[in-house]
Amino acid sequence: MKLTTRQLTLCAMLTAMALALSYLENFFPLSAAIPIPGIKLGLANIVTVFALYALGPGQAMLILLARCVLGAVFAGNLNALLFSLLGGVTAMGTMILLSRSRRFSVYGVSIGGAAAHQCGQVAAAVLALGNTAPCYYLPVLLGVSLLTGALTGLVSACLFQALAHTGLTRI
Amino acid sequence: MRSYPELRPVRWDALAVLAVLALAAASALLLWRAPAETGAVTAVISADGEERERIDLTALSPTTITVESRGYTLHVLLSEEEVRVTESDCPTQDCVHTGAIHGSGQSIVCLPARVTVRLEGGAPADGPDLVIG
Amino acid sequence: MKVSKKRAAALLAAVCLAGMLSACGGQAEEPSSRQIFAMDTAMALTVYGTESSAAVQAAEEELMRLEALLSRTSEDSPVTALNRAGGRQTVVGEELTALLDAAGTYSRKTGGAFDPTIAPVVLAWGFTTGHNRVPDPEEVASLLETVGMEHVHLDGGTAWMDPETQMDLGGIGKGYASDRMAEIFRRYEIPRATAALGGNVLAWGTRPDGTPWRVGVQDPRSPEDSSALACLLHLENAFAVTSGGYQRHFESEGQSYHHIIDPATGYPAQSGLTSVTVVADCRRDDAAGLPGNGTMCDALSTALFVMGEEKALDFWRTSGLEVELVLVTEDGRVVVTKGLAELFEEIEESGYRYEIVS
Repeated sequence: MKLTTRQLTLCAMLTAMALALSYLENFFPLSAAIPIPGIKLGLANIVTVFALYALGPGQAMLILLARCVLGAVFAGNLNALLFSLLGGVTAMGTMILLSRSRRFSVYGVSIGGAAAHQCGQVAAAVLALGNTAPCYYLPVLLGVSLLTGALTGLVSACLFQALAHTGLTRI
Repeated sequence: MRSYPELRPVRWDALAVLAVLALAAASALLLWRAPAETGAVTAVISADGEERERIDLTALSPTTITVESRGYTLHVLLSEEEVRVTESDCPTQDCVHTGAIHGSGQSIVCLPARVTVRLEGGAPADGPDLVIG
Repeated sequence: MKVSKKRAAALLAAVCLAGMLSACGGQAEEPSSRQIFAMDTAMALTVYGTESSAAVQAAEEELMRLEALLSRTSEDSPVTALNRAGGRQTVVGEELTALLDAAGTYSRKTGGAFDPTIAPVVLAWGFTTGHNRVPDPEEVASLLETVGMEHVHLDGGTAWMDPETQMDLGGIGKGYASDRMAEIFRRYEIPRATAALGGNVLAWGTRPDGTPWRVGVQDPRSPEDSSALACLLHLENAFAVTSGGYQRHFESEGQSYHHIIDPATGYPAQSGLTSVTVVADCRRDDAAGLPGNGTMCDALSTALFVMGEEKALDFWRTSGLEVELVLVTEDGRVVVTKGLAELFEEIEESGYRYEIVS
């Protein structure tokens, strides 16, 4: 993939923002309310949704991979890589399909992405733990993904509205 | 802008919501089936994908079991009524916060320690109702 | 007028609905269970249906009655009276006469492999008292003189035996008790139940989910571990009785002796089998207190154990009795007759080899 300097800069900025959002998320621990291992708001998904529309699937995927790898390195926890990669890639795949269909609004796309993210995480947990115990949480995680997906959808919608008048997203 | 998204919910979004709900309901039905009516429940403790303990909870007086895995130590309290992780030195403490589980099919997961505590229902589904001889 | 018609209809509907609801409520499948110690063994009953507690009560009373009727050790049982009569004609009652008659029939049918007069020999081995010993051959030979149903005579409600002959209905009593359990379940219109009377099982109806009862056949190699099975049978409305040398045995000078004595030799049967399970239908409308298939299964399981694999299978093919068999052999095979082909399940981890014969 050949990137212009402008694109590269934008990707780097978005990656940094995604990482910052992941960090910010720690201050709103959803797992305190719902004690399920690995449950998160998924704020970094806002960046993914934005990149998907603004930059296209290729660069969005690039940002995602960079975010996962760097996140794992910063956290010093390579175990987390499996979880974020499986969750992230599943979510990305689903969102690409949903946005390509051109039928769903940004809400539908991010809800689909959030649900897929949870499925991917559960799959990663099953792989890591070597048994199917994590599946027990799947129904709750899917329910929660409706809310977190709607939240990221809302933030993304606001973001696009705000940026519509700027030239930032015009590549 | 490669493609500008629709910023207000559309009818198709309801479909996405319904699909997720249906998936949640289906998986709940599949995974949360009512516990077997014979109160007999077995707790299965695994670490790193390997089964460590299998404890029949029938008429069990409260017992604490220590599970060590990946440098963490979990204390699991088992009794006839329920199973819980009472203490763990893992960073997330999700396993402790999960609290007590009591029905077959329920489980406690500790990701950092890679430990699962899982309740298996009543008599094993393919076990006999009675034995002769 | 129109309104009152509507009201009547509504009332009718309400009554019907209430009736249906209460019928549903009454049909709740809460089983009644009871453990009973009778006839020298622990018995377990689990009974479903609206009349389950009444049926369990009746069943317990019946088992106590049978214990008093058939006991060889109680002072005032008719069996004890018969054993102490020293050859005199004794009134034992219709029921016991019928049971003695059935015992005679199965003894004849099995060529003496089942014999309720073997008691003196079993006593000499100490199985009834717990003081196990190996009797010397002369003693066994002289005791065998008294063994055989030809020494037992029946007439009306009376019976007499040649002096020295002793009657022990232990090999048939629990089978008869399961016949009586079936009779009680029928009388109380019990939809489903299980009765486990020490090696004798009655699987009445089906499981609550409508599938057959899953009856495990104990693995004779690990009698202490009730989770070790030789095979699993899916039974519906059936008696199943297992006899095996593993159930009671003792060691003497490095030799193991079990409690199933071959009436032909007076020694524990060395037939190459470790257990025999006999299965038969438990529904009989003409039972009316007579010994039925439960009694038959009990008698046959002992007899076929004594006979050994080959003779047992010959008996199965030619006797004309509607039974099915599971034979567990010393050399690690489980031989199943073809009527059970669809009803049995192999236990992979048991290590047995499975054969279906016809």
